[in-house]
Amino acid sequence: MKPISDRPSAPADTPDLELLRKFEPVVYYTKGEQVYPTAVEYYVRECSLREHHPDGSEELLVPQGQMTMEKLIEPRPAVFGSIRYLRFIEPLDLGDAARVLADQAALRRRIGEYFRPGIGRLARGGFLPRLADGLFSLSFLLRGRVPAADMAAAELDYNAIREEHPEYIYYGRVTRQAGWTVLQYWFFYYSNPWRSGFHGVNDHESDWEMISLYLYEDDGQLIPEWAAYASHDFNGDDLRRRWDDQTELTMENGHPVVFAGAGSHASYFRRGEYQDEVTLPQPDWLAAIIKAWNTLWTKTFGQKPVEAFHVPFVDYARADGLRIGPDGPHPWSPVLVDETIPWVSQYHGLWGLFARDPISGGNAPAGPMYNRDGTPRGRWVDPLGFAGLDKVPPPPQAVHMLEEDSQEISRRQRELKPLIPEKADLLQSMGMELKGMEGNPHLAKQYAAQEKGITKLSAELRDLRKEQTENVALLEGFDRQLERLRSGLKDDPHAHIKHLDAPDNPDEKLRFDRAAETWAAVSLSLLLFVIAGLVFFASQYVWVGLALALIFFVVIESILRGAFVETVAWVTLLLAMVASVILFIHFWKWIILAALLVMGVSLMVQRLRELAG
Amino acid sequence: MPRRKKSNKKKSPIAVSVIAVAIVVLFLIRLYQVYEPMIRHNFFKNGISGPLFNGLSLTPLGNDLFSSISYLILSLAGILVLIGFLRLQRWSWVLLMAWTGASLIIALVDFFYSHANYVVMASNVIIAFALNLPGVQRAFDIRRDDEAHI
Repeated sequence: MKPISDRPSAPADTPDLELLRKFEPVVYYTKGEQVYPTAVEYYVRECSLREHHPDGSEELLVPQGQMTMEKLIEPRPAVFGSIRYLRFIEPLDLGDAARVLADQAALRRRIGEYFRPGIGRLARGGFLPRLADGLFSLSFLLRGRVPAADMAAAELDYNAIREEHPEYIYYGRVTRQAGWTVLQYWFFYYSNPWRSGFHGVNDHESDWEMISLYLYEDDGQLIPEWAAYASHDFNGDDLRRRWDDQTELTMENGHPVVFAGAGSHASYFRRGEYQDEVTLPQPDWLAAIIKAWNTLWTKTFGQKPVEAFHVPFVDYARADGLRIGPDGPHPWSPVLVDETIPWVSQYHGLWGLFARDPISGGNAPAGPMYNRDGTPRGRWVDPLGFAGLDKVPPPPQAVHMLEEDSQEISRRQRELKPLIPEKADLLQSMGMELKGMEGNPHLAKQYAAQEKGITKLSAELRDLRKEQTENVALLEGFDRQLERLRSGLKDDPHAHIKHLDAPDNPDEKLRFDRAAETWAAVSLSLLLFVIAGLVFFASQYVWVGLALALIFFVVIESILRGAFVETVAWVTLLLAMVASVILFIHFWKWIILAALLVMGVSLMVQRLRELAG
Repeated sequence: MPRRKKSNKKKSPIAVSVIAVAIVVLFLIRLYQVYEPMIRHNFFKNGISGPLFNGLSLTPLGNDLFSSISYLILSLAGILVLIGFLRLQRWSWVLLMAWTGASLIIALVDFFYSHANYVVMASNVIIAFALNLPGVQRAFDIRRDDEAHI
């Protein structure tokens, strides 16, 4: 892998499939990855088709074994609120689940690829996020979920099909909008085993991921300018990198490199381990309390905001596993798609189990063209807006557009040049007329009208002068930008990025690595044991015991994480706030009296100083 | 006008003096807590006039003597911290914050389960808030100017 030094290009009349192949990505996976991009047909024929009705009932439309691509798109009327979905793995009983999990372990042994998390997400997050993580895990008892055995079964089925069809598929789409030629590469996976396989946020059947490349035409050649990688459900400017961004975009022989997250298959620009966060759903009143507390805690006391309801997760994009792409042993088998392909445009349902998860993390995604609710998907219908490029013209057009804008402003400046003195003269003349009306009671009506006219003209003149001054600055800016564009100079490639998604520094180790990791794994359970002990052996001291235990756990954690000073400061501050409330409740009269006396003395000193000075 | 020479010494914020006064107040209270049980048991006249242990547990005399020794250690530690604090040593800020935290825990446990010592509680509250002031934290190199939080 080496950073790009020069750009490849293709003639503007290159056929779409060839164009896709010319710039197709190289994707690196993490060791232990369970599924890779494959063809939808093999998957669909193994599924059943179902419908979830608004009354909660389920209807089997096509049973497993009878499914075809034609049946997938067959028109079937449904009531509003229905959700159509494929189901890849039929419900497993306990025996089946145990057998599948054992088979999965055997498969791993045979392949010889294991995923080792290293310092897991729990050790990175801290004690409070771990408490939230406990709540998150418990929430799976209430929310719908995809069992780990289903993910294991999907992996086994995928591997069986992979033996018959070892090719790696991407679905390529070429579309042209606002001067840009957009190449989209869509990847279909049998499952998203992020939680069960890699300690992530969710599991779901099937997974659709994509990246987009943006090319512009210059002298009959298509030249790549931007690459945007879909990462979870993020949108906008932060998703794209410029082709010449050597720090962020890796290239291999003119092909952009994608680092896929283990299990999540999210696409990253750089190899590494990414910290993601899931915010637990909270009622409005609780969110308002947390917001008010954070305002006090950060603004008044200068502490870090409390983020106890944020559960940290790690997305591993280590690139130590399979490599798929050109110039290697595992090349792509591309398939060209667009709206004319029936399964793309005519199937609005989910591509896997509808797990009835209200947060949607466990429900399978819809196809490339639609959202889970069946509405058109932004990244398909508006690929420029998806990457924040809808406001950015292709480079050759940028010069032309800037020249036009510059000419327009210059024209307006020429208009303003005589207009402003003209209006200024008129205003002065009106002022003189107003002066002349003074002392003539019979002209009161005209005086009021004149006064109104003067106010209006004065405001107009002020606006014109402001516009003239702003235009001068704008023209200077345009001239500088034009000069840069004409000379081929580019802006900072990161100028458009508000939040740069960077992996954790692999060299940054937690203090006491192993101890921190072990503590992270056992501390929450230990706390539960302490609570149980308090309830049984010292029930009269439960609350104070719990508070002391929490402080003890937090302090131990801080020592392991090398954050003792910071932690001691906020724990003491918190205790001081509790003590302040107690003191205020007991001595509020004295406290108010003292405050009034201090204020009185202070005011008196100030006033007397003023008097003397 | 002659130009004033710039001092290389770190400036000590007013809050440092407030904290120092609070430490002295706490020292005096702790000193009283050292002497009060000793006077109650006529320790200075009679010496240790009874057994300190009853089996594995402490007798009332042993308990009071143990408390006196604990408070004496706390008082001496307070003086040590005070010296470091007036010299703007980083370790003294950390030690004082930890000490204040521990003292507040004891004060709050006392409040909920026995008798509250409001003077100690108030002194600790003043120390905790004063130690958290940005100027004080900068003086002790706990917070740098480029950091929003410690």
